[in-house]
Amino acid sequence: MRALGELSETRYWMYLLLLPSLALILLVIAYPTLYGMAISFREMRLTRPGLDGWVGFKHYLAMWSDPVFWIALKNTVVWVAAAVVLELSLGLLAATALNRDLPGTKIFAVLILLPYFLPNVVAGHMWALLLDPRLGVINDLLVRLGVLQAYKAWFADPNTALAATILVEAWHGFPFFALLLLAGLKGIPEDLYRAAAVDGAGLAAQLRLITLPMLKTVIAAAVILRVIGLVNSPDLLLILTGGGPGDATQVLSLYAFQTAYKEFNFGYASALSVVMFVTLMIFAAGYIRISRITKGQGDD
Amino acid sequence: MATLSIRDVRKSYGSVQVLHGVDIELEDGGFLVLLGPSGCGKSTLLNMIAGLDDTSGGDILIGGRSVLDLAPKDRNIAMVFQSYALYPTMSVARNIGFGLEMRGVGADQRTRAVEDAARMLQISHLLDRRPANLSGGQRQRVAMGRAIVRDPELFLFDEPLSNLDAKLRVEMRTEIKRLHERLGTSIVYVTHDQIEAMTLGTKVAVMKSGYIQQLGDPRTIYERPANMFVASFIGSPAMNFLAGRLVPDSEGVLFQASGVSIVLPTRNRQVGSERPVMLGIRPEELRTVAENRASIIGEIDVVEPTGPETMVTVQVGENAIIARLPPRFAGRRKEPIFLAVDPASVNLFDPDSEQRIDI
Repeated sequence: MRALGELSETRYWMYLLLLPSLALILLVIAYPTLYGMAISFREMRLTRPGLDGWVGFKHYLAMWSDPVFWIALKNTVVWVAAAVVLELSLGLLAATALNRDLPGTKIFAVLILLPYFLPNVVAGHMWALLLDPRLGVINDLLVRLGVLQAYKAWFADPNTALAATILVEAWHGFPFFALLLLAGLKGIPEDLYRAAAVDGAGLAAQLRLITLPMLKTVIAAAVILRVIGLVNSPDLLLILTGGGPGDATQVLSLYAFQTAYKEFNFGYASALSVVMFVTLMIFAAGYIRISRITKGQGDD
Repeated sequence: MATLSIRDVRKSYGSVQVLHGVDIELEDGGFLVLLGPSGCGKSTLLNMIAGLDDTSGGDILIGGRSVLDLAPKDRNIAMVFQSYALYPTMSVARNIGFGLEMRGVGADQRTRAVEDAARMLQISHLLDRRPANLSGGQRQRVAMGRAIVRDPELFLFDEPLSNLDAKLRVEMRTEIKRLHERLGTSIVYVTHDQIEAMTLGTKVAVMKSGYIQQLGDPRTIYERPANMFVASFIGSPAMNFLAGRLVPDSEGVLFQASGVSIVLPTRNRQVGSERPVMLGIRPEELRTVAENRASIIGEIDVVEPTGPETMVTVQVGENAIIARLPPRFAGRRKEPIFLAVDPASVNLFDPDSEQRIDI
């Protein structure tokens, strides 16, 4: 006990105290991540138990010549970029409206969050039904309004499938931006807008020179979080299209998921995941640098 | 430069009326201070002059022209905010020149104007910085620079000094006064600080609960307050109030309370009848005298030397009053003290209506 007492007086004590949490992190975060990465350099197919052992960069080379990988990569970029742009715009619009302290805004603030409360699976099935080629309400409405000649199978047409899933995702994800941006808007002093009004800055100038710069940090954080979420979650697409028709809505996360749990090819699926992981890291680092949020407001 | 006329201006939010028909005329080049506790409507009135708030009634004229239908930017005013409201993403130079930029003034002319204003406020060396890298006092100067660079008809100041520490506040107060004397532009200035009102204003409007309690020059408001609210709001330490009776006397009227007997000369016959009144005495009007010439006899309670003067709290009958006496005052607690006051300097108030009684 005396030895412990003496140890607690040294500067090594703090490292000792950090050990339990370090062990926990190694166990639940570092080990699975590294193990997953290691699999990508191995052959691991549940359908071929005998096939085992290290294969080096075989999976990565195979990916290079895999047309589905390139389609999935392109679709991921389109799907994520379009969804984030739509969600950010809708979110900003909703947040600005909710920030105006009009009667009823409190109720709307809760109502507008509802899509986000719905689990992806529920939202996916709901929209699948709404857009159903035979029973869908939306088809019915569009036909009655004269926009469409006949019912349309939105998710079965390669030309509309990706766009339709993007719209569903935008509906589901914009409250996330609305909520964060509303919190950001509340932090902007009202006096800035009053000063701008006296100075003669119009609404566009106020948005460009006050609102957006003041929301920069919030927007950057929200976009990073949302991009990571979108790249990594295949659930909505899994329910709406399963990646089809053909590979029209195939994205990397879904491709990796299907490779692992339909073809049971864990080695290749793991290589796909590592590529996603590295891509996201590069994206996040680059995005933070571009939006300069680490340097603090006002001195960029 | 311009005159400002506020005519029967009203404001209500729903059923709550926050301004009840305010009338103020400010001369060209004047300095109007709107003074009052928080919630008195002074900031609302300023915002309505700026056009940042709608009026519910009445009219506002700047330079003889009604501005109610004009947007803030078209009223030819410049405003300094309590929070300074500097644009955080712009340099100091662009902040100052932003109003000119929005009005389409050319870059060369803008730069010249910004540099002139910066020189006047001694912030030329800060022009390239961002507001985040400035001290409170420097931000305050930038906010003022943004206002004066526009050369408006009217400056509006919304509690500009309340975010500064005490020493800086005194410095900036002097600076604002110097600026006003140099530029000669009319100013409307909102504050809850009675010292700012006294030192800066050519005209002071004391407000409470949406009513103007008194409108006049600072001297008059200090010496002849219209009611007990104004009397107690202006001056520190506050005016002493003594409850007593007014009794007719051969030389005028006699004010009587426990320990107090003061003869007041009067020309107002109506005052002469016997009635209860409140007597108001400024602490600095009290002086110590010999016992036989005393009009107020009390007992010393607390003696507080501050350096240039000594504050003495005196128990007079039921009331405690404060006297501002010379620094070397030597009295001690529990000792009797004999005070006199110049009858011309006192004020009488009706105890019910709290309004001033002219004597």
